[in-house]
Amino acid sequence: MIEIEGITKRYDATTVVDDVSMLIEPRTIAVIVGTSGSGKTTLLRMINRLVEPTAGVIKLDGADNRSLPGYELRRSIGYAIQGHGLFPHRTVAQNIATVPVLLGWDKARIKARVDELMTLYQLDPEAFGPRYPHELSGGQQQRVGVARALAAEPHVLLMDEPFGALDPIIRNKAQEDLLAIQKRFGTTIILVTHDMEEAVHMGDKIAVMDAGKLVQYARPAEILAKPASAFVETLVGASEKPFRLLSLGRVRDAVEKGTAEGEAIPGDASQRDALAELLWSGRPALPVKGDDGKPLGRVTVDGLVKRAARPA
Amino acid sequence: MKEAGVKTWLPSLLRLALAVLLVAFVTNPGWFEPLLKPLTENNAPVIYNQGSLLTLTLLHLRTVLIATVAATIVAVALAILVTRPAGVEFLPLSRSLVNIGQTFPPVAVLALAVPAVGFGEKPTLIALFLYGLLPIFENALTGLTTLPANVVEAARGAGMTGWQRLTKVELPLSAPIILGGIRLSVVISLATATIGSTVAAKTLGEVIIAGLLSNNLAFVLQGGLIVAALAVLIYDGLSAIERYTARRMGREAQ
Repeated sequence: MIEIEGITKRYDATTVVDDVSMLIEPRTIAVIVGTSGSGKTTLLRMINRLVEPTAGVIKLDGADNRSLPGYELRRSIGYAIQGHGLFPHRTVAQNIATVPVLLGWDKARIKARVDELMTLYQLDPEAFGPRYPHELSGGQQQRVGVARALAAEPHVLLMDEPFGALDPIIRNKAQEDLLAIQKRFGTTIILVTHDMEEAVHMGDKIAVMDAGKLVQYARPAEILAKPASAFVETLVGASEKPFRLLSLGRVRDAVEKGTAEGEAIPGDASQRDALAELLWSGRPALPVKGDDGKPLGRVTVDGLVKRAARPA
Repeated sequence: MKEAGVKTWLPSLLRLALAVLLVAFVTNPGWFEPLLKPLTENNAPVIYNQGSLLTLTLLHLRTVLIATVAATIVAVALAILVTRPAGVEFLPLSRSLVNIGQTFPPVAVLALAVPAVGFGEKPTLIALFLYGLLPIFENALTGLTTLPANVVEAARGAGMTGWQRLTKVELPLSAPIILGGIRLSVVISLATATIGSTVAAKTLGEVIIAGLLSNNLAFVLQGGLIVAALAVLIYDGLSAIERYTARRMGREAQ
C-alpha cells in the first residue's frame, strides 16, 4: 500500500507537483499519464526520494519514506527507466545483480536470483550472463533493465516510460511480460507514461496529471466513460474511446449462445481484437474457444457494438 | 583483404623496429658511432661520454613518471571535488589555478623553485607537475560531466551511495577520457623534462646541453632522438590502453 498525501514540489516559483493525494492498493498497477511537463515523473521520483518533496508525506506500507536514508530506501524499491540505463562496463549478470550486491547477499543467492530472472525473461543465463549490454538488442536491453529493477525482490516497482524506446511489436511483448511477472510476484507497480493506450492496457487504476495537479484517479473504464475534464477527454481521444473501452474486456465475457462458422478466437483475446477480426472478415459472428480448445459459444458484431457504447 | 592486412601490421612493425633501435642505442651507443661521426668536427667525441645514456634515459623516465603520477592524483582528485554538489563553487577557482600552472613557463618555475628547494631533480619535478595538471584535470572534468544521464540516474535509483556511484560507475566510465589526459601530459613532460638539466637534474637534457655548449651536433641529435623515440612509443602504448578501456567501458560507439 502506497499512500501519497498532499505531496507538493516547488522549484523556486514554479510548482511542478501541486498537492497530489492518492492511494495505491498493494499488488496492483497504477499508471500515471500526462503530457510532458505535467509533473508525472517528478511525482514518481518523490516516491523513492530521487526528488525530495517540498510538502506532504508518502507512506509505504504505513511507514514514512523518510524514515530510512535515501539510498537504503531506494534499494528496497525497484526502479526502471526509459532507455534502461544499463551500466555499459558491466556484464548483463553483473547489471542484474546490482542491488543484491549492494545489499550484501551471498554469492550463491545472487547467482540463483540472476539465473531465475534471466530464465523468466527468456535470456539464457549461460549465453547472455557474460555479455555486455551493447551486445544485446533493444528489446533484450529493456528486459535486462526490468530484471535489474526486480532483482532484490522489491514489493514496489517504479517505472518511468520503460517501454518508450521500443518499437511497437517489442513494446507489446514487453507489456505482456510485465503483466505476467506482476501476477507472479504480486509486485505493486507505478508506471509513468504519456501513452493512453498503454495506460488503459496496463493499469488497474489510471491517474491523469495536468500542470502538476491530479485531475482524475479512477479505473480505466471510468476514465473512458466519465472523463473528469476536457483535458482528460482530449487525452483519451474522443474517436478512440469505444475501442479503448472494448480493449478492456475479454472475449469470454461477451460470449453469446450459439455457433458460428470459421476459425475460433480464444476467450482470453480482447473484445477489440474480436471486433477487428469480425469487421475485417465481414462476418456477423465468430466462434469462441476456451483455454482447453472447447467451444464456449460465439461473439457477434451487434453484441460487441452494444458493449462499446458509453456506459450508463 | 590483403591491403587491410598490410595496414594493420605495418604500424606495429615500425613501432617494434623503433623500440629495438632505441634499446640498442641506449645500451650500445658505440654501434652507431659511424652514423653520427659526420656531425662532429675536430675529432670531438661522437657518443656522449660524461655518463651512461642508459642511466640518463632511466632517470629521465623516472622523473616524468613521478611528476605524472603526482599530477594525476591531484588533478583527478580536484576534478572529483568540483563535480560533487558540495564542490561546484570551487570549479572556477580550480580552473584558474590549473590554468596558471600551464601558462607559467616551466623555465620560470625552475628559476623560482631552485632558491626554495635547491638544484637537482626537485625543481624539475615541481615544474613538470604544474605543467602536467591541466590536460589531466580538463579531461577528468569532461569525463565526469559527460556521463550518460540515464546510467547515472539508474545508479542513484538502484540505491548506490555517492561514493559507490563514484567508484563503481563514474570513474570507470570516465577512465578512457582521463587516460587521454594522462597521455597528453606524459608526452609534454617527456619533452619538457630536458630543461631540468639546466638546474642539474639528471635527464637526457644533459646530453643536449653538453652538445650545445661544446658545439657538438652529434650530442644534440642523440639526446633529442632518444626523447622523441620515447615520446612516440609511450604515446602509442597509452593510446592502445585507452582504446582497450574504451571498449571495455562500452564507450567506443560514442
